[in-house]
Amino acid sequence: MVPTPLALIAELTHRCPLHCVYCSNPLELQKTAMELETGDWIRVFREAANLGMLHVHLTGGEPLSRPDLTELITGARSAGLYTNLITSGIGLSENRLAALIDAGLEHIQLSFQGSQAASADQIAGTRSHAHKVQLAALIKQRKIAFTMNVVVHRQNLDRLAEIISLAEELGAERLEIANVQYYGWALRNRDSLLPTREQVDKSQAIVTAAQQRLQGRMRIDFVAPDYYARYPKACMGGWGQRLMLIDPAGQALPCHAAGVIPGMNFDNVRQHRLEWIWNESNAFQKFRGESWMPEPCRSCDRRIEDFGGCRCQAFLLAGDAAATDPVCSLAPSHAVVDDALMQVNVPLPLPASTIRQNSWIYRQNPK
Amino acid sequence: MAKPDSNSKPRLAAGCRWADPNGAERMLLYPEGAIKLRGPGRDILERCDGRRTVQQIIDELHDQYRVANPARIADEVATFLEQLHKKRVVDL
Repeated sequence: MVPTPLALIAELTHRCPLHCVYCSNPLELQKTAMELETGDWIRVFREAANLGMLHVHLTGGEPLSRPDLTELITGARSAGLYTNLITSGIGLSENRLAALIDAGLEHIQLSFQGSQAASADQIAGTRSHAHKVQLAALIKQRKIAFTMNVVVHRQNLDRLAEIISLAEELGAERLEIANVQYYGWALRNRDSLLPTREQVDKSQAIVTAAQQRLQGRMRIDFVAPDYYARYPKACMGGWGQRLMLIDPAGQALPCHAAGVIPGMNFDNVRQHRLEWIWNESNAFQKFRGESWMPEPCRSCDRRIEDFGGCRCQAFLLAGDAAATDPVCSLAPSHAVVDDALMQVNVPLPLPASTIRQNSWIYRQNPK
Repeated sequence: MAKPDSNSKPRLAAGCRWADPNGAERMLLYPEGAIKLRGPGRDILERCDGRRTVQQIIDELHDQYRVANPARIADEVATFLEQLHKKRVVDL
């Protein structure tokens, strides 16, 4: 039986004023001229609600780059969807914030790149930290749920306690601390982003202590670094089980990175209804359920919990989208992950002063 | 964590609301998820309106369910509200 999807991830645009070195957008960004029109999106929201979806996550790129964002929020709310905005905050004035909330926006997830302007702005490839701090104060004056989201990696994990303090100061009700996931842009920058084992161990202890201390005041969600885990993450809650992502040009994908898998054909909401795409399209059936699984997944008790991990990671690291996720300690290809970790965790042969600066590959903007 | 004060007036936190999908069970939506509620859980949460006190909610539940041991209802309401407070679904 085909499961009922829970949420729609709407990548409204790939345009973004930030250039984060770990951006979850694909390397091949969708051009502005290809973006769906306002009416297309509103129809998609109605179809999503009819299919049983509860939430829509408006994201990008930077969703504020769409001048019709207020209309889109109105459309999502009148379809009955819970409406969440995932944003860098760049492009959000006090007036525009008020308009979005009046249109029915229910939750803002504001991204931060760190606790301090200089290092955060370096990761974002643009000056943005100070604006985010100001914006957080404006959000707190409104009656809207506020989550602060911080992606963590080798360059900022040593400041995790400071990041948590910033979230407390800014009055976030939720803090999402998400370790970088290595696809697209992040994979290209992996050598500078992958944390050390010592950092990972310390960060987990800091998060656990903060969760205890802040109980009832701020909820902290933590996305663990899967390279250091024994078993893979339950990527997207399973392929075609819970989530559907629509990219700016209207292609429907089972996850952010699925475009990297060769031989896949993603149907477009311009040609097909969401219900057909979810229930019938090849892309959503490809790795749904267990019939595609190889060993050791096929006979593993954990297959109902982690679904064999991430298909995109399997392709990117093992060259086969139908392989066990290489981060799994039981995967035949697990050595590729161990190799990457070894490079980060061996003591450096050179004194720190001679280490060259990180040479970042920044996320581009679409044409 | 301390039990909720019996005089506090619990209410749904910002960003939490009820949804009544066609033909489906009533659900509470919050920023990253949803809870399907039935029975006493739903009866408690529907009374978290910022006007009733914890004590009033306990009294009303007691009238509704008429169980032999009233202390149990008080305990269960307190525990349930604490859990939802931790999840940031209810403000106490």
